[in-house]
Amino acid sequence: MTDQALTLFAKLRMLFAQRRADDAFDEEVSAHLEMLREKYQREGMSAREAARAARRQFGNTTLLKQRQRESRTTMFFANIWRDLRYGMRQLAKTPIFTIVCVLTLALGVGANTAVFSVMHAILMKMLPVQDASRVFYLHTTGWPDGGSQTGSSETSFSYPVYQALREQAGLQDVMAFIPMSFSGKAPVRVGAAPEEAAGDMVSGNYFSGLGVVTELGRGFQEKDQNDHAPVVVISDAFWATHFSRSKDVLGKTLFIKSYPFSIVGVAAKGFEGTEGSLPLDFWIPFQSRPEFNAWGSPAEDGMYLTKLNFWCIKLMVRTAPGVSPKQALAKAQGIFERAAYIGVPPKKPGGETYKLSLAPAKQFDSQDDAFARALKVLMAMVGLVLLIAMSNVVMLLIARNATRQREFSVRLALGAGRGAIARQLLTESLLLVTLGGAAAWVFALFATRALGTWAEIESNLQPDGVVLAFTMGLLLVLALVFGLAPFRFAVSQGPELVLRSSATVSQSSSQQVRVGNAVIIAQIAICLVLLVGAGLLLGNLRSLLHTPLGQNPDGLLVFGIHPQQVHTTDEGYAFFLALQQRLRTVPGVQSVSMAANRPGSGWSNNSSGIVVDGHKPNGTESAEAEYRANVVGPEYFRTMGVQVLQGRDFSDEDTATAPKVLIVNETFAKKYLGTLNAVGHVISDPSGKESRLVVGVVKDHKYTSITEDAKPMLWTVFTQSGASTELQYEVRVLGNPVAILPTLRKVVAQVDPEMPLLDPMTQSAVFAKSISQQALFARLAGCFGFLAIVLIATGLYGTLAYRVSRRNAEIGVRMAMGAQRKEVIWMILRGSLWLTAIGVVVGVPLAMAAGRELESSLYGLKSFDSASYAGAILGVVFVALVASAVPAARAATVDPLKALRAD
Amino acid sequence: MGADKSEVLQGTLDLMILKTLQALGPLHGFGIARRIEQLSEDVLTLNEGTVYTSLLRLQQKSWIGSEWGVSENNRRARFYSITKRGLKQLAVETENWERIAAVIGRVLALEAKA
Repeated sequence: MTDQALTLFAKLRMLFAQRRADDAFDEEVSAHLEMLREKYQREGMSAREAARAARRQFGNTTLLKQRQRESRTTMFFANIWRDLRYGMRQLAKTPIFTIVCVLTLALGVGANTAVFSVMHAILMKMLPVQDASRVFYLHTTGWPDGGSQTGSSETSFSYPVYQALREQAGLQDVMAFIPMSFSGKAPVRVGAAPEEAAGDMVSGNYFSGLGVVTELGRGFQEKDQNDHAPVVVISDAFWATHFSRSKDVLGKTLFIKSYPFSIVGVAAKGFEGTEGSLPLDFWIPFQSRPEFNAWGSPAEDGMYLTKLNFWCIKLMVRTAPGVSPKQALAKAQGIFERAAYIGVPPKKPGGETYKLSLAPAKQFDSQDDAFARALKVLMAMVGLVLLIAMSNVVMLLIARNATRQREFSVRLALGAGRGAIARQLLTESLLLVTLGGAAAWVFALFATRALGTWAEIESNLQPDGVVLAFTMGLLLVLALVFGLAPFRFAVSQGPELVLRSSATVSQSSSQQVRVGNAVIIAQIAICLVLLVGAGLLLGNLRSLLHTPLGQNPDGLLVFGIHPQQVHTTDEGYAFFLALQQRLRTVPGVQSVSMAANRPGSGWSNNSSGIVVDGHKPNGTESAEAEYRANVVGPEYFRTMGVQVLQGRDFSDEDTATAPKVLIVNETFAKKYLGTLNAVGHVISDPSGKESRLVVGVVKDHKYTSITEDAKPMLWTVFTQSGASTELQYEVRVLGNPVAILPTLRKVVAQVDPEMPLLDPMTQSAVFAKSISQQALFARLAGCFGFLAIVLIATGLYGTLAYRVSRRNAEIGVRMAMGAQRKEVIWMILRGSLWLTAIGVVVGVPLAMAAGRELESSLYGLKSFDSASYAGAILGVVFVALVASAVPAARAATVDPLKALRAD
Repeated sequence: MGADKSEVLQGTLDLMILKTLQALGPLHGFGIARRIEQLSEDVLTLNEGTVYTSLLRLQQKSWIGSEWGVSENNRRARFYSITKRGLKQLAVETENWERIAAVIGRVLALEAKA
């Protein structure tokens, strides 16, 4: 290494140790002075004289320290600071340019970062587990006939399958986890107040197999699983909110479903379980008490540990080192095919073979393809917005620096170094991009959180720094290339440019204008595509919002009730009916009913197989007659506001001992009975064991969500439908349903103080939530469309304003030759209208192609909607006119005399 | 220009310090200043602070190293010592100096004759 390099290194090191070096040097100097003083004193001077002589001999200490400090480190940064100050002054001199650039970057790059971060979290982010490449979710294509299943069909397995895979498949670990209920939550209590918390029952190797460590205490062991130990591991977030991260949390009691569990550990920060968008609060080992059946199912239907055909256990696996996922899967498949038929009739010859598959251990198990597709659409839209934003900034930079060609020429002529000017330009670009980046980061922070909330992802979302860095880096490169262009021009022309430069000579070159025009046309075309897309999505949302529901959800409040002290079916009937009676007496309540599946939440019992009056249902094979079902309470249809077309609603008289009845919808009656007059017919299951009399036909209405099509459906009353552990109460009130909530809480607390209202919300909100994804995408698309319009407006304005200012002299000449102000205004407007027209012509086919793409990836969207196209074109033209109006008006006020005299 | 003059002086001082450290081993700033004072026999007067400017420069070039230690009268002090690079540099500089001194000497002798 050369001496210079060594010196530079020493100086750079000192940048970070300046203060310490100062102190050390102070000490060194004072020790030296002290020794000098002692020497002089020894030579016979008085103390005061010696001190003075020492200082004289040593020289000026302050100056020395200053010099020392300067030469210890480098002056490079002082120069940078000077450049920065100068750059900031330059930016402050053109505040509109600066603000427009920074805002453009903030919106464009920030939105891009936010959308990408959410997409990354959902599509790509891995679980925070050790060596995640060997950890997989286990999926299956189906389960054997005779199996009873949870509804989460791809991910559920039976206990025999779990055991067989664990013991025979040669996998390093098989981790099992079971949600506490269908909502994933269970009633818990730390102090006095009951509340809900999300949790899983897990196998003993859950934490060790995933390689998740604990913040505090321990994870589980095999023993905990085998003993069904009453121990619990809580999440870091739950620890923070309920125990303020107190170290003595270990050994404290958490009541889950009224049973005490001893807290033995806190899971590593950042690990929120393996349930995707639902972050978990706690984990307990497999339990054997009836209250802890899988998914909160009634124990009477069979416990998950002993009911061999109950497919309810979710599995993850860790493959052994050196074994490829393919090999591991092949081995597991063989074992799965045998174990799947334990407890159910053997596989029929030629029957479907169910296939296992391994899904990577991502934060979100990749099941929801629709969501992923929609996210990709969003990503494409935000990418286009980013394109517009970046081209805007680059165009503004070009325009700005082009006007400075003469400044550079003058500075060159005055002897400025080329390097100095280049560095100055670089600093300015850097400053702009940095300011924009900072603003973009702040914007992305908010936008990511908002997006996460809208998408109902409760897990911790952070904007992705890599994305931001990438976009900013790209922009920086562009800013440098285009920002330096006028500088190159000035340098190549040399200082003599300034000597012959005048307004007429330094006019923008025709090539520059052509490039600018092409960019504007492209921007307008992209903007049109975005606007059409936004129009289509918003139109789709509007039609969804106005879909007739066939019922009246206004004024309805719904909440779940899960009694803890109910052990038999009859106790359940009595409890739920008593609560219904009690709620009916609350002032303001008009009617109360219950349902097993909350309407609008997406849950449904789907079955097949009916016999009508002992015959095939209206020409369909009995076994193939598919239908949906729900179990409800008395007065259900009156409460929901559904019209009863024939017969009657369920009533309090439909008790467990009364004749068994059911109610069907229009579609069911028409499809399986061939007539709306279905009352009086008898519907039985194919075995003929259970028959029910049809007592009513109701109008078709939405059940699982707003977007569903009408399907055959039947309802039975819960007192004739076997055990229920949890029912959703529908309460119709006068006025605002939310206002009555506190009263209802009190009433329920009187019945059982440990029983929380589960997920209370208005029934309208439940339905709104069923299209929340569509709503989210439509609103975001609307935002992007608006963003694009704003960006186009600023970009167009900036470019036109710049061009008009460059054409002052030309306009002056025209006016001197007799051009009218009107003509000048029209000249400017005509220019931008032409560009807009070409942009529209280019954009419409693109928009149509994009529309078709949208149609294929988003459910129920129609790609051609003339209103969207007309709106988009009008929007673009309007913006072009507005953006040109100000520069045009300025052109009209050009004073020909002044314009010609200038320069 | 002033800078050039100090350049020569600095170089001289650097060389003197290197030689001192080579000859006497590790020394603190005060010790170096005493040694130079002693050798120059009051011909060279210098602000002792200047020694430190030189020491810093030499350190940045890795010709000398430093270490905190305790002085003979029990004071905490920084001891400087010459490095391998410094020894090499000293050899080069010494040769340079001798050559230049010889040239200057011859030139001055010429002047005297004429």
